[in-house]
Amino acid sequence: MATIAVPLGQQQTRQEVEATPRPALGEYLRWSVDHKIIGVQYGLTALLFFIVGGALAMGIRLELWTPELDLMVSGAAYNSLFTMHGTIMIFLFIIPMWAAYGNYVVPLQLGAKDMAFPWLNAFAFWLIPPAGIVMLLGYFVSPAEAGWTSYPPLSTLFSGDGQTLWALGAHLLGLSSIFGSINFIVTILNMRPPAMTIWRMPLLCWAVLATSIIAVMATPFLAGALTLLLLDRMAGTTFFDAAGGGDVLLWQNIFWFYSHPAVYIMVLPGMGVLSEVLSIHSRKPVFGYRMVGLSSMAIAIVGFTVWAHHMFTSLQPELRIPFMITTMIIAVPTGIKMFSWLGTIWDGKIRFTSAMLFALGFMSMFVIGGITGVMLAALPFDIHVHDTYFVVSHFHFVLFGGSVFAIYAALYHWFPKITGRMMNERLGRIHFIFTYFGFLITFFPMHIVGMLGMPRRVAVYDAAFTDLNRLISFAAFVLGFSTFIVLYNMVRSYYHGPIASANPWRALTLEWATTSPPPPTNFHEDPIPYEDPYGYGTEAATAYIDAIDQAFDRPGGAPAGGH
Amino acid sequence: MMSSIERAQKQKNSEEQAAALRLKNNRLGMNIFQLSWIMAFVALIVVNWQLRFSYAQWPPAGVAPFDLLLPSVATLALLFSAAAVAQARQALRRGALAAFLAKWRLAIGLGALFMAIIVYEFATVSEAALATQYGGTFRLMTGFHFLHALAILAVMCRVYQQGSQGQYGGGDGAWAVEGSAKLWYFVSFAWLLFYVVIYWIR
Repeated sequence: MATIAVPLGQQQTRQEVEATPRPALGEYLRWSVDHKIIGVQYGLTALLFFIVGGALAMGIRLELWTPELDLMVSGAAYNSLFTMHGTIMIFLFIIPMWAAYGNYVVPLQLGAKDMAFPWLNAFAFWLIPPAGIVMLLGYFVSPAEAGWTSYPPLSTLFSGDGQTLWALGAHLLGLSSIFGSINFIVTILNMRPPAMTIWRMPLLCWAVLATSIIAVMATPFLAGALTLLLLDRMAGTTFFDAAGGGDVLLWQNIFWFYSHPAVYIMVLPGMGVLSEVLSIHSRKPVFGYRMVGLSSMAIAIVGFTVWAHHMFTSLQPELRIPFMITTMIIAVPTGIKMFSWLGTIWDGKIRFTSAMLFALGFMSMFVIGGITGVMLAALPFDIHVHDTYFVVSHFHFVLFGGSVFAIYAALYHWFPKITGRMMNERLGRIHFIFTYFGFLITFFPMHIVGMLGMPRRVAVYDAAFTDLNRLISFAAFVLGFSTFIVLYNMVRSYYHGPIASANPWRALTLEWATTSPPPPTNFHEDPIPYEDPYGYGTEAATAYIDAIDQAFDRPGGAPAGGH
Repeated sequence: MMSSIERAQKQKNSEEQAAALRLKNNRLGMNIFQLSWIMAFVALIVVNWQLRFSYAQWPPAGVAPFDLLLPSVATLALLFSAAAVAQARQALRRGALAAFLAKWRLAIGLGALFMAIIVYEFATVSEAALATQYGGTFRLMTGFHFLHALAILAVMCRVYQQGSQGQYGGGDGAWAVEGSAKLWYFVSFAWLLFYVVIYWIR
């Protein structure tokens, strides 16, 4: 039998364990440099914007219930509706939500006391609320109407002052993203315990590292594009105005050089979550650990070479084939991950917890989004379905079926660690069923209406599409309703859920080797990581997990932690 | 039980370790910031590059190319300023505070000269140039760079002020010197890229 590394020193007494209360709710409203507080602040802010963005989505589906304009007073009002929906979901929900999990979990997984730059961490978070308020204010003054992509001349000649506020808000969010990412990279590279080489690092840390590298290298391009947009709108320059020697394609180039990699910013952390959840809840080591870590890096690098596939219809024709090829190549590292996940759960002792259900939901839905992605990469097909609902369907399969499902999986998985309470599994399963089928029936028929030629971003459509649109809208309302199940579950579990032990899922990564919730300094003593973060199914791993249980939980089964 | 001396020793060791980690983090964070934010300048070079192709020739017909003399003087001043910063850091490492302050002052003076020339160039772009993207991208790039130079020069003035009060002996205090110096190298490097793109590539 291998020697067993016990994660904790002998000084860990029961009194210390019991003396870890969870933070009062008021602490989340104040400036704090504790990464755990900041993580929850990110999460709650993102959740708030998720609800706002979701309400806007319900508005979109209500308008599309009939082929005519009815809910909205004009096409322009509809334009601003979907503009805000897209912007909020991308910039104010998904990206900050991954910062939430990254902040809370990454330092714990590394056995660190905090992030490398705690003050900068807090500063990066506090840029988000003002940015969100500025963007929302824009919706009420004279809203942006140019879509979340804000192509000129729509965003320069047609949109109102809300577009200026939109650009200012996005600028702040970009800065926040850069500061946060610098912090992640330094923390991950410099603050691992001596026993944890980069090849023994949990895969969420690999994913956050790859994501952060993308964010620091790509986001400055967004800053450049937004600076130009603001100057054109406010200072009378003509960078995007052909009459003054400018070029509208300039925006598309600079914007997509950021925004395509941003797609990976939104999904790579979810892929990291999946590797964690699938391995832990099927009691099997991650299949092909190194390849999964390296494929994150490959996606980060290849992701910088594909941006012009968003411009197939406006690009110089001779450049289209190279971008088509690079876009197809990026399916290879993504496929490696998919095979790794299948190999991980293959023959595992699968526990159908809510976290696991959402992780499996991610696998099935993301693969559809991935395949339609390869279809769209094929130039002849892309030109056929350009600007139709097929594209809308594709990116919702990736961003909802991918990112949001992973966000839910991560919520059910880490909620006990964050709050010290277990979530209700029955409600979790009900939430999953409503979300899964609501999602599938909302977005799958969009492939069909798209192939039939229904254009995106319009409030009126051919009456022949009415039946399919009613089906989509109905399912979208079910999907919207499903959000309230998880919100209710979160609130109820926070107050009345069963108290969580330190390591309820019997996991090997270090965030579970401390109380739930962890004390302000995370660990009472420097923890010793297990030699393989996913080495489940060995005697040594069982002994390590038992040692965690003995160190933190009272004998007799009633665990410590929480209130 | 540990004796109090042992405990004090252990405490000191862990403080030293924490300080070393802080410095290591600061350095890596600064390197990543430099790599990251240079991309904002690269983005503006791409802007300049793409807009050139809106015109048959560059500078566009009827626009005189920018005069090279003053901007080249400014570039030299900036490079000497960065060199003075490097010498100031060496002086501080030797513990020669007076030499550090003198070199740092020189660096700030040369930096201010650079910025004065750039302001003059910005203000005196010809009407003909401003009617085209030749003038437009010039003002965009020099203005964007100027704002960065201004902010970092302000930090350097603050470092000078603290240095003249004798605050820099070593350890954390010296990070303010190292950090602002590295930001100033960054500004110099970014300007070199712009200088080549604006004035030399036609």
